[in-house]
Amino acid sequence: MSENNDSFNPFDPTGMLRNMRDSNMTAWSKMMIQFVNTDAYAQATGTMLDAWLTTSAPFRQVIEKITTQALANLNMPSRADVIRLAERLTNIEMRLDDLEAKLDEGARTNGRVAVSTRNKPNPAEKQP
Amino acid sequence: MKATETGQAPGGDLYDTLLKIAENTQTFQRLMTTDAKIAQSPKEVIWTLNKAKLYRYVPLVPEDRCHRTPLFLVFAIMNRPHVLDLRPGHSFVEYMLKQGYDLYLLDWGAPGPEDRNLCFDDYTLEYLPRAIRKIKSVSGSEEFSMLGWCLGALITTLYAALRPDNGLKNLILLTAPLDFSDKNAGGFIRWTTNESFNADKIVDAFGNVPGEMIDYGAKALKPVENFVGNYLNLWDNLDNAKVVESWHSMNTWVRDNIPMTGGAYRQLINAFYKENRLMNGTLELRGERVDLSKLRANILTVIAENDHITPPCQSEGVMAKIGSQDKELFRVRGGHIGIMAGSGAEKNTWPHIQQWLAARTV
Repeated sequence: MSENNDSFNPFDPTGMLRNMRDSNMTAWSKMMIQFVNTDAYAQATGTMLDAWLTTSAPFRQVIEKITTQALANLNMPSRADVIRLAERLTNIEMRLDDLEAKLDEGARTNGRVAVSTRNKPNPAEKQP
Repeated sequence: MKATETGQAPGGDLYDTLLKIAENTQTFQRLMTTDAKIAQSPKEVIWTLNKAKLYRYVPLVPEDRCHRTPLFLVFAIMNRPHVLDLRPGHSFVEYMLKQGYDLYLLDWGAPGPEDRNLCFDDYTLEYLPRAIRKIKSVSGSEEFSMLGWCLGALITTLYAALRPDNGLKNLILLTAPLDFSDKNAGGFIRWTTNESFNADKIVDAFGNVPGEMIDYGAKALKPVENFVGNYLNLWDNLDNAKVVESWHSMNTWVRDNIPMTGGAYRQLINAFYKENRLMNGTLELRGERVDLSKLRANILTVIAENDHITPPCQSEGVMAKIGSQDKELFRVRGGHIGIMAGSGAEKNTWPHIQQWLAARTV
């Protein structure tokens, strides 16, 4: 998106600085792309993420246990209860969608029957 | 004095410069917000299921000039589909509507904790067939075309291979991540297939994988461009209204991250990235084996030559495996998003897709 100024102008220090900046950025960018594409980087980020997930897991479990217990003591639904309810609602929605599909199909079939009945020649009309 | 002669106060240049910097800073701050008007093409919701919504766009041309075969757009599950209709005057949706297509768009929505187990089986065999049934019912056409982008392309490919007789006539795949045999092709596959990367642990910890985490991963593939260069380029072009508005709408879309369901993430990393099951022919969705040779729809695969998220090799290999008679591979210079939303899209990618489709659509 930026304008590419290849021509060198000694009387434009801003332009010179910009060119220097762009050249540095290009070099820095290439270096970083190469760096993140190494196995060492993949290994390091994977290990760090894994270490964080492992060390934070017990804390998360404790917080979840305490919250669930507190909600139960207050006679309130837990996160798991709400999730179960939402899942059931989705299932109901799917059933409704199935019903709608059947109604659509029925309407289409009836439409076809009606059309074919209309198109059928009336035997009474054929009689002299 | 010279300054007085020109009517300018001494130090006027410096004052002007400071004023300009202040103005630019204000513009820059405005652009950091995510309130650009995107996805403006008129549309109506015709079907919903859970968080998913199916939209039908209001046609822009008279009915007698419209194509009868509907075109169904399916975007990735971890981003909003608004990029297909970025802003008035620069929108793929608008472009296709002007060409007389009956357009439908599936917005997967943002999954909640109750959706953490949703996986590609559900998207492919539960959501997509239902949405397609609705499209057929509304359009009155038994045949349809489908365009999938990124993970949307993966889902549409799975569907096309599993349900080849369901009326799918044309399939357009944009930057489709399908073939993961080259474990050194790009950062994503290198990171996720490393033995230290454990997708199960991430899903166990988060349930749904946060959108910010996925966004960070995508940006970290080109860290200097995404975290520094992007903003410097904007600063340099703050006087250019076209660039500014384009940047603002793109920033609004990019920063609207949505989580990816835990089930889909686990499956993506383990079954696709690590084990490459689709290409090996060992992928099963709800007990049905996905056989790419059963895919019979006409197929156009669009590859972004500078794609760092889905490197070209992840879309190329599939062409030899699919059973379609009519297949074309189209290469475009650009990145993962740029080929459809960049400034060159309306001169290269969109016309090619439109012409390819028009030749195969009633």
